[in-house]
Amino acid sequence: MKLPTGVKFSNIKMGDIMRKYKEKIMHIVFLISACISIIAVVTICVFLFANGVPAISEIGIFDFIFGKSWKPLENQFGIFPMIVGSIYVTAGAILIGVPLGILCAVFMARFCPKGLYKILKPAFELMAGIPSIVYGFFGLMVIVPVMQSLFGGSGKGMLTASVLLGIMILPTIIGVAESAIRAVPESYYEGSLALGATSERSVFFAVLPAAKNGIMAGVILGIGRAIGETMAVVMVCGNQSILPEKLTSGIRTLTANIVLEMGYAADLHRDSLIATAVVLFTFILIINTLFTVIKNRSRN
Amino acid sequence: MKTGKLMSVFAAMIIAASTLTGCGSSNSEITVISREDGSGTRGAFTELMGITVDDVDNTVASAEISNSTSVVIQSVAGNSSAIGYISLGSLNDEVKAVSVDGTEATVDNINSGEYKVARPFNIATREDISDLAADFVSFIMSADGQAIVEEKGYIKASDAGAYTSSDMSGTIVVAGSTSVAPVMEVLADEYKKLNSGVTIEIQQTGSSAGMTSTIEGACDIGMASREVKDTEIQQGLVPTVIAMDGIAVIVNNDSEIDNLTSEQIKQIYTGEITDWSEIQ
Amino acid sequence: MEIAEKLISYKINSSEAINTRTLKQRLREYKGRPMSLILKLLMLISIILSAGVLVMLIGYILVKGIPALIKFFPSIFAWEYTSENISMTPAIVNTVIMTVLSLVIAVPVGIFAAIYLVEYAKRGSKFVKIIRITAETLSGIPSIVYGLFGYLLFVIALGMGYSLISGAVTLAIMILPLIIRTTEEALISVSDSYREGSFGLGAGRLRTVFRVVLPGAVPGILAGVILAVGRIVGESAALIFTAGTFAAVPNSLTDSARTLSVHMYALLSEGLYTEQAHASAVVLLVLVIGINALSGYVAKKLVNR
Repeated sequence: MKLPTGVKFSNIKMGDIMRKYKEKIMHIVFLISACISIIAVVTICVFLFANGVPAISEIGIFDFIFGKSWKPLENQFGIFPMIVGSIYVTAGAILIGVPLGILCAVFMARFCPKGLYKILKPAFELMAGIPSIVYGFFGLMVIVPVMQSLFGGSGKGMLTASVLLGIMILPTIIGVAESAIRAVPESYYEGSLALGATSERSVFFAVLPAAKNGIMAGVILGIGRAIGETMAVVMVCGNQSILPEKLTSGIRTLTANIVLEMGYAADLHRDSLIATAVVLFTFILIINTLFTVIKNRSRN
Repeated sequence: MKTGKLMSVFAAMIIAASTLTGCGSSNSEITVISREDGSGTRGAFTELMGITVDDVDNTVASAEISNSTSVVIQSVAGNSSAIGYISLGSLNDEVKAVSVDGTEATVDNINSGEYKVARPFNIATREDISDLAADFVSFIMSADGQAIVEEKGYIKASDAGAYTSSDMSGTIVVAGSTSVAPVMEVLADEYKKLNSGVTIEIQQTGSSAGMTSTIEGACDIGMASREVKDTEIQQGLVPTVIAMDGIAVIVNNDSEIDNLTSEQIKQIYTGEITDWSEIQ
Repeated sequence: MEIAEKLISYKINSSEAINTRTLKQRLREYKGRPMSLILKLLMLISIILSAGVLVMLIGYILVKGIPALIKFFPSIFAWEYTSENISMTPAIVNTVIMTVLSLVIAVPVGIFAAIYLVEYAKRGSKFVKIIRITAETLSGIPSIVYGLFGYLLFVIALGMGYSLISGAVTLAIMILPLIIRTTEEALISVSDSYREGSFGLGAGRLRTVFRVVLPGAVPGILAGVILAVGRIVGESAALIFTAGTFAAVPNSLTDSARTLSVHMYALLSEGLYTEQAHASAVVLLVLVIGINALSGYVAKKLVNR
């Protein structure tokens, strides 16, 4: 009688220990997984900077960043027009994509009839999946001729690129903003209704502000996509490395600069393109920090 | 915030509305389309047209830049006042090739030397080239290989005799210029028919990337649509010209221009002429 | 105003409910509340615009692509790529392999990382903040930069060459933050009472996570995976410099392989095969629709279970 119980007892103990180990091991596995994003960022930094910084110092940091002339074959490596181009195009895309996206998200989350939702939701998911190169060709064949007939000129440029990018970031913003709006407790909406507000007012002034952080996340993702978009932009922005004078002027973005010339570049030219990526990367670090600061401030 | 929303919605509406009626307007201000710095096509074009003087490329800064032949074609096809230049092998009926100094851009005229806008297609190998890769190169340079080159609309670069298969086997990696890749694919297919045990991997990475990977040993043969640079030859590359490729100057099909002098092309690309009305 | 009425009447017609109000009643509700009316109109205009753009885009792909597809059928689907048939079959196979490989690497890591952030780490601790910032940084890095990085690290430094595995690892890092973020949000949205209930019944933390919290978060996670798949399938900039452009089905992980998007890019770059490029755009579209439908189906199954 005694022996079996003893065995059983130790079994339970073994199970306990096993479970404890399992917990410990999985805890470590989770921790390592979480660290991978840190490792990735550090590795990317090291590799980009190790290849790009020597080129920057050879060109001279001031000449590189503030130089207005990009003629790599004549050893003029000024990427200021590209920096300006990237900023303008991204801002334009945000101006078009964010309001549209948020309005769509509100509609989808709050006012959409069920039948319509069943079509719209997968439609926007599909939109997110369409490759940027397809968007680029669409932009070239459809948006560029429209811009040509509206504003004259070649139709390629800042405005065209902004519109195309605005369209491209729509699904990202709609998706994230919609789930953020849905995550707001129903009581916000009901409370506002009870105070006599219309349902639109309630959604826009009670629910939407409560979903601010989630929507912000969507906007960050959107900016990330807009500033980093390469294949589509390169087809519609004209790629002139000069400072734009008007909305329809052609411009070149940092990403376009890399993809345009990487295939042919050699020596310092190639390194200067990696240095362009370094600048782009620094840019994104700045944007992320800014957003973190804004987010923290809005919380306090 | 609100006005921003309204404005952007309004703007987007105009775009949507005009898309339905969308059509290109004609204006006579020239849209100059060029290729990216470092492109073999651009290098050859600016050199031959006198746009590049003493290694300084004077292409006007407001020229639109594209890194793809197909985007150049589409841009010119959709814009009645545009001018661009592409590889002769890529020319199709969506755009019109103009005569330069009265000479049409045809293979015959390039062969006879009358049409001067042409550049070499190069391949480069290391000195310690494998027997298999060397055999492939000899196929490319043979009468059989050069026949394919001509069939694809390029100009042959060698008058060597016929190729005899020695039934090779193994793998060849070819990397480099996107301009050379299409003809290289055909050459590879034909070579594989003659040597059934061979696999040929073709990478379209761009001329310089192709040269670099050949130097580093990542591939056997590099392709370049430009001259191989001295710095690359110093690192042990042996260049071979496998074909000549004409460069066609193209305009919209609706354009009234059929002939341009090289001086006019130079002036257009350096920004001295900005309007079609200045060309008689 | 006429447009407004039309829009609203459309809206009513499309949402027939038991207590339907007439258009007049609806409009009367907005009387003296111009703000609400404007908001409503703005929303309707936005949704029509966005959907309209999508319809135009798809229409454009189909109108251009289907004739090309018919013209080159069936040689365009031949098993082996040659310069005569410009077959896209190898590229389709490569796309599937590339997607699966990247997901296999990124999804477990991403989910585990999110579990750590939500279930294990002290909320608001410095470590969590750093991870969150790095994840946000990763998600902001442009794909072309990933391409350069993958080229410098995997292709050159680690000597992996242009290969499936170089491309897949690069893409995995690229989609990691997307999966972390969506999983995190999905986990957070699972009510704490579930966790408390599970703990109360004596389950350990691990058991609670895998048996209680994670199943509840599956639809959210899947939504992230769909977005990730979309990014992989559509990616070209990051792959050109890492996976190369070899147009055949690879024999091993170390072989170069072009996905359908890269295939399209390669076809477009010389302007020789524009029609074939349009045809591959149609297939790409069908592929994306298929993936989305499949994920939706799986999500439904899981929710119903």
